[in-house]
Amino acid sequence: MRSRRKLWIPAAAVAVALVAASAGWTSTTRTGGSTELLRVASTAQVTTWDPIKSFSTEVLYMANLYEPLVYANPPGSSTAFRPGLATSWSRTANGTTWTFHLRHGVTFHDGEPLTATAVKDSIEAAATRGAASFIWAALKSISTPDSYTVVITMKAPTRVDLIASSEDGAWIVCPAALAAEAKDAQYFESGKDCGTGPYMLKSYSAGKQVVLTAYSHYWGGWSGKRYSNVVVEITPEAIVQQQMLQSGQVDLALSVPLENINQLMKTGKYRLQVRQSTRNYVGFFNTTRPPLNDPLVRQALSYATPYRDIISVGAHGYGTQARGPVPRGIFPWSAATPQYTTNIAKAKALLEQSGHGDGFPMTLTYAAENQDEARYAPLIKDAYAKIGVTVTLKPILFNQQWALAKGDPKKAQDMFLLQYWPTYSDAGSDNLYSLFHSSAKPFFNLSYWKDPTYDKLVDTAAGITGSSAAKAKALYLKAMTILYDQAPGVYLYDMKTVLLTPKNLQVINATNINYPFVTFFYAVQQVG
Amino acid sequence: MSRWVVRRLLTSLLTLFFITTITFALARVVPSNPAVVYIGPLARPAEIARVTKELGLDRPLYVQYVDYMRDLVHGNWGTSLATKQPVLGGIASRLPATLELILVAMAMAVAVGIPLGVLAAHRKGKAADTGARVGAVVGISMPVFWLGLLLQVLASQWLNILPPTSRQSLDVAVLHPVTKITGFLLVDALVTGDWSGLQDAATHILLPAITLAAYPAALVTRMTRAAMLDVLGQDYVRTARTFGLGERLVLWQLALRNAIPSTLTVVGLSLAYLLTGSFFVEIVFDWPGIGQYATNALLNLDYPAIMGITILGATAFLVINFVVDVLQARLDPRVRLQ
Repeated sequence: MRSRRKLWIPAAAVAVALVAASAGWTSTTRTGGSTELLRVASTAQVTTWDPIKSFSTEVLYMANLYEPLVYANPPGSSTAFRPGLATSWSRTANGTTWTFHLRHGVTFHDGEPLTATAVKDSIEAAATRGAASFIWAALKSISTPDSYTVVITMKAPTRVDLIASSEDGAWIVCPAALAAEAKDAQYFESGKDCGTGPYMLKSYSAGKQVVLTAYSHYWGGWSGKRYSNVVVEITPEAIVQQQMLQSGQVDLALSVPLENINQLMKTGKYRLQVRQSTRNYVGFFNTTRPPLNDPLVRQALSYATPYRDIISVGAHGYGTQARGPVPRGIFPWSAATPQYTTNIAKAKALLEQSGHGDGFPMTLTYAAENQDEARYAPLIKDAYAKIGVTVTLKPILFNQQWALAKGDPKKAQDMFLLQYWPTYSDAGSDNLYSLFHSSAKPFFNLSYWKDPTYDKLVDTAAGITGSSAAKAKALYLKAMTILYDQAPGVYLYDMKTVLLTPKNLQVINATNINYPFVTFFYAVQQVG
Repeated sequence: MSRWVVRRLLTSLLTLFFITTITFALARVVPSNPAVVYIGPLARPAEIARVTKELGLDRPLYVQYVDYMRDLVHGNWGTSLATKQPVLGGIASRLPATLELILVAMAMAVAVGIPLGVLAAHRKGKAADTGARVGAVVGISMPVFWLGLLLQVLASQWLNILPPTSRQSLDVAVLHPVTKITGFLLVDALVTGDWSGLQDAATHILLPAITLAAYPAALVTRMTRAAMLDVLGQDYVRTARTFGLGERLVLWQLALRNAIPSTLTVVGLSLAYLLTGSFFVEIVFDWPGIGQYATNALLNLDYPAIMGITILGATAFLVINFVVDVLQARLDPRVRLQ
C-alpha cells in the first residue's frame, strides 16, 4: 500500500499545481495603467552591443540607447531632418564642408557631457573601424573649433545630413567607452552601453531578453506617460508574438503575422499603422550565362512575373509594386521610372524573339527562413511555367544562399531573391550602386551585370548629390530606366511597415521610414 | 563491474570524439562563411577579411580542428558567432530552463503513465484498458508542436486560464525577479518563499510540460502494461494470489516491483529523447531553453554553437544510457554488467 500512495503523490502534486496555476493566471495579467514597464515582443537579435560595429537587427536597441547628430524625417514632413544631438547645421555652397552646432546640456550615460571632441571621435571610429564605415568613405577631416561645434569636411560634395542620420555607423558614443573599445574589441559585448539616448541598457540575456531603463538625465525630459523600463522579449516566431499580444503577456508585438492582421483588427482592441518602409524585394537574374545573358529573355521573365499575386500572397497586400530597386518614398525614387506589368502574351512573344520559345530550365534560390519569399516563390515558378520556363525552387538558409551566390557566378543560381534596404536614406548611393554597379568581385550585385553607361550615371549622380540633389535625381532616373530596359533583375515590391498597437498605447512617430528596424520607445506613451 | 565501467567510459569517450569530429567537418563543409555569420551579411569585403583573420578562419581546416579539440578539452567550447558570447556560458544559462521543463514533464509522464499502465493490465480487455491503449497511441502519434498549439488554443485562447508562452511573466522577470540560486525557477521560488514567483512559474510551465509529457507518458503506459501483463502471468503471482494476498498488494507491491525495470529503461531513454524533443516545444512556447539556442544556432549556421549543442546532446544520451544500465543491474538481479 505504501508504494501505491507514493505513486499518487506526484499525480496529486501535478493536479494541485494545475488548479493553483490556472487560478493564478488571470491575476498575473496586467490591466494597464502603470508606466513602470513596457513589454515588447520583437524578432530583433543582438549580434553586437558595439555601437561602432553595429550593422544588424540590434539597431532596435541602439536607437534607444544612442543618438545621431540629426534624424531624418518621414516623407511629407515640413522639414527633411530634425535635430538630434545637433540643434542646427549648415553646409558650404559646394556641399563639401558641413558645420554642426551641438545641443547644450546633454550628458552621456556615464555622466560626462557631450562635446565636439566626443562627436569627432565617434565619427572617426565609425569611419575607420565601423561595420558601416563605407558611409563615411568620402570623409576628409573633422575639426572642432569649440566644444559645441563640429566641422566635417568631405572629399567631394556629399549629403552629410543624410549620412549623419543613418541608423548604422552614426551613433555618438561617450569618450571613455570609445577608448575602452579601441583597446578591447570585446568591451561592449557583455552588455554595456554609453550613449546619450533616453534609455540605458539594464540587462541582456543573449538571444532571450533585453531590458532597458530610463536615463533620468535625458535631455528630452520625462514628461507625459512614458515608460521608465522597457523589456524586449526576443521572439523569433511572429505567431508566438501574436499569442503574447492577445493573451496580454506583452503590450506591443513588433512582428505580428500579416495574414492575421484583419482578424485581430476585428476584435476592436488594436490600432493599425501602415507606413511605407525602405525595404523591397528584388529578384536577380544571373546575366553571366545563356539564356539569361540575353536582355530579351530577362524582359520576357519580367513580363511573366505575377506582381499583383506576389504582393497579395507574399505581403498579404501590404506592399506596392516596385519601380526599380529604389523603395518608394526615399531619394531618388521617382514615379517616372517605368515598370513592367504582368503580360504573358508579351512575355511569350519576347521569348520567341530571343530564340528560346521552347523555354528552358532555371534554378531560383531564396532564404528558407524568409516567410515572404517562401510564400511568393512558388507563384514565380507557376507564372514562368506558363511561358515554358521550368523553375526549380531551392529554399536554403540565407547564409548558404549568400555563400553560393558569392562563389563562381558561372556556377551560381539563375535567380536570387533578396530583401534589401539602404543603410541610410539615399537609395542612389546605396541600392542603385550596391545592387547593380559593376564590381570586380560580386558583393550585392548578384546579377553579376556590368553596364558602363549605368556605372557612369550612378557615379556622377552620387558625386553631385551633396551639391545638387535635383540634378542627381535626374541622372538616377536615367540609370533606373536602363535597369528597366536591361532587366538584370525583376523588381518585385516595396514593403510596408505594419504596426499593430493596443488602443491604450500611443506610438505616434515611434516608427519612421528612415529607421526601418527601429521603434523609438521614448515615443510610446500610455493614453488616458 | 569496474572493468565494465572503465570499458564503457572509454567507448563513450571514443563515441564523443567521433561525433565531435563528424559534426566539425559537416559544419564546415556546408556553403556558409562563418565570418559573414559573425559580422552580418551587409558587411563589406574588407571587414569580412578582417574578421576572417581575427577568428583564425584563414588557417587550414585541420589546424582549426586541432585547436578546437584542444580548447574543448580545456573547457573552452568556443564563442558563438551570432551572440559573441562563450558557447558553454550560453548553454549553461539556458540548460536550467530546459532541465526544469524536462523534469516536470517526466514527473507528469511517470505519474500518469505507470498507474495507467497498471490499471490497463489489471483490466485487460475492458474499457479502461482500451481507453489507456487508445490514449497511448494518441500520445505517441500526435506531433508535439501540434499538441502544443491545440493546448494553447484551448487553455489560453478559449478558456483563458493559462499563459500561452514564456517561462515567466515579464513583469515578474523584470520588476520582481525570483532570486536566482539554482536557475530552476520553481525550486528557487520555493526555497526563497517567493509564492507569487512560484505561482507565476508554475502557471507558465504547465502547458509546455503537458505537451512534452504526452509522448513519454504514452510510452511508459504501454511499457508498464506490457511488463505487468507478463509479470501477472507468472507462477509466483498466481501463488501469491492462491495464498490469499490482497489484489492491491499483488498488483502494486509484487507485480509492479518486478515490472518496473522495463519501464525504467523507457523512462531513461525518454529523458534523453526529451532533451532533443523539447526543441519543438520550446519554439512553440517561446521557452528560453537550449532548444531555442539550438534553433538559433542552426538557422544562423553558428557552428561553434552547433558543435556545443551536439556535444551536449551526445553526452546526455551516453550518460543516461550508462545510468540506466547500472540502475537496471541494481534493480534486477538477473541483469549482470559484463
